[in-house]
Amino acid sequence: MNLWELYKSGEWEIPFLTFSIYLFVLASFVFYLLIVASRNRNIKREKLRNEYNELIEKVLSSVIFEDVLYAEIKKDKNFMVLFDTSFFRTVLTETLINLHKNYEGIYAQKLEQFYKDSGLIKDSFKKLKNFSWEIKCKGITELAEFNINEAFDQIIACTKARNKTLKITAINAGIKLEGVKGIVHLTEHTDIIDEWTQVNIISAFKKHDIGDTKGVELLLESQNTTVVSLGLKLIKELKLTQKVPFVAELSTKAPNTIIKYEAQSVLQALTI
Amino acid sequence: MTFFNTDITWFLDVYILLILGYAILIMSSYLILAYLSQKELRGYLKKNSFVDYEVLLTSEFAPKLSLIAPAYNEGFTIEENVKSLLSLNYNNYQVIVVNDGSKDNSMEILVKTYDLVLTDLDIHPKIETKKIKGIYTSRNAAFKKLIVVDKENGGKADALNVGLNIAQNPYVVCIDVDCILDKDSLLKLAKPFLESQGKRIIATGGVVRIANQCIIKNGRLVEVNIPDVMLPRIQVLEYLRAFLLGRMAWGRLDGLLLISGAFGAFDKEIAILAGGYSTKTVGEDMELIVRMRRYMLENKLPYAVSYIPDPLCWTEAPEDFKIFKKQRSRWMRGTIETLSFHKRMFLNPKYKLLGMLSVPYWTLFEFLAPGIEFIGLVITFIFIIFGLLNWHFFFLLLLFVYSFAVFFSVIALFSEERTYHKYPKQADFFKLLMAAFIEPIYFHPLTVYSALIGYKEKIMGTKGWGEMTRKGFTKK
Repeated sequence: MNLWELYKSGEWEIPFLTFSIYLFVLASFVFYLLIVASRNRNIKREKLRNEYNELIEKVLSSVIFEDVLYAEIKKDKNFMVLFDTSFFRTVLTETLINLHKNYEGIYAQKLEQFYKDSGLIKDSFKKLKNFSWEIKCKGITELAEFNINEAFDQIIACTKARNKTLKITAINAGIKLEGVKGIVHLTEHTDIIDEWTQVNIISAFKKHDIGDTKGVELLLESQNTTVVSLGLKLIKELKLTQKVPFVAELSTKAPNTIIKYEAQSVLQALTI
Repeated sequence: MTFFNTDITWFLDVYILLILGYAILIMSSYLILAYLSQKELRGYLKKNSFVDYEVLLTSEFAPKLSLIAPAYNEGFTIEENVKSLLSLNYNNYQVIVVNDGSKDNSMEILVKTYDLVLTDLDIHPKIETKKIKGIYTSRNAAFKKLIVVDKENGGKADALNVGLNIAQNPYVVCIDVDCILDKDSLLKLAKPFLESQGKRIIATGGVVRIANQCIIKNGRLVEVNIPDVMLPRIQVLEYLRAFLLGRMAWGRLDGLLLISGAFGAFDKEIAILAGGYSTKTVGEDMELIVRMRRYMLENKLPYAVSYIPDPLCWTEAPEDFKIFKKQRSRWMRGTIETLSFHKRMFLNPKYKLLGMLSVPYWTLFEFLAPGIEFIGLVITFIFIIFGLLNWHFFFLLLLFVYSFAVFFSVIALFSEERTYHKYPKQADFFKLLMAAFIEPIYFHPLTVYSALIGYKEKIMGTKGWGEMTRKGFTKK
């Protein structure tokens, strides 16, 4: 008997309830199995991560402190077998990034060289070309961390993305790689640069200690008032007193009263 | 007699159809909301993994916040709770503790611990409140963020309104003083205010979780545990269901009617323009959000309410039935009062999604559900008395509802497992799973009973909160 006939006969309630009960019980059991599988996978991954970390730390400390090159590490068959697995490379990249953040000078350069020689850089470029925004973000973060300036143009192209997280990641990476050059292109942007993005940009300038601020004033000429506002905030927060004439000019021909007020407030902060 | 029998058969058919129809409607709505919540949650977590909240710590452009913490007879824990509020990860904020005419020694403890002195703060109250006895600030520079207001007792809403009048910053965060906040909670709560694009963010809310039997050290949560006592244990599950599978979806639809009174941030200007907290209801948290939304819609101002799924605030759930009953009956009264104050929004297209979906949903599934269940129970008893009950159908119906409730709880556990994974211990997971099986037969009837008490209290004109005693957290 098909469903419609069952409904028409007026005896559909019992089969409906019975079917639904079976369905809920089965679905509950499936979800229970999924939870157990997820917990087991997490435990397994955690165990694996600890094992990998031990080996990775040994390898990377030899790279940093004993001048061991990747060519020598490659000879270790065990390492190379693991290197072929994506999870190992993920853990390796994460550790490499963490170490790179903590070291400067020659040690940081050795880590950068390892990143290039090992081919992890290729993985990052691949990620950059991925369609998924979160994988793109990962690629951008890695390339920027290891100061891969060749990636600058591709990264800047991502600043026009509709996805805000990708946009912010790309702008921050651009600032790390090329300083002011990483934001002047925003003058042409028509999208709203919200305050959260602005705060991130200012923070990137501070974090990466961008000394050369030539070109920041160009932001004040943008048709996009949120970009102008960003320029004013940057000038104020970085205390760029040399930009006062540009701010003064803006305050006389501001596109709206909010910008005019903001410019006057920056002038006040920088001249007192 | 034949006519009577025909009538009864017809009535039975209609009754069964209505019961099943209502159950299917409520279950489908839960599943749709759960699906939307999961989608939103996954997106949020993906985005969040690239967010650096610390940029707000060093920025002078971070939104300036005023924390308002009303306190009534909190002498036992107030010293530590205020200390924890003063040590949150945020720069641009002040803490306003409003002592709402406590009968205990809360005020003496605050004055002594924080070296408080009376001060002449220039305030221009925009909302009428009970009389302020004194405003105190600290002589100690380490507590310069702290303002303590001593006032006549007027209830939580009145104390919050005093805070709104005194707050010097454009955003206020209203919290329960006995809640345990995550160290980064303010950073997360403040971010949405910077993200508005053409729409004004009028409020943001975070997830509240149950802290019973969790270990607290220096006002911070250091170890998450599942309570051994069944009542708070099931409330852990209930909160997971509500926050992970419900509110996130309403947030996505921008139809959220409630930001928990335990932890929420508001645009002060809009909160004041809307009239502040209402002292005429015990559901002041829900009522304020509805009124703020209504204000924005009636004035045709583009706005949004943001919701953060991260567990930012941990609170103590009632452990005995007496306190639980008081809490839930009060929640029901609050719901009835809010829906009745704003009844003109019901199915009114002028209020868009809020009027056409959120308010009807709350009316049908939050306000009326316990009443409908009760009527169903009464009719079932009548059927039993007259020998009309089809026992086979009756048990199938019970099993249908029971299996769905267990299924929905398991989805909540799955969601928690795949997202925040706050209960990693195997024993805790099985405790929650057990709770999922017990919830429909033990906890649900208690909530329905408490809600019915809420109806009764509303009809009898009961006002106020009633005494809410707490056991206190486990400290390390």
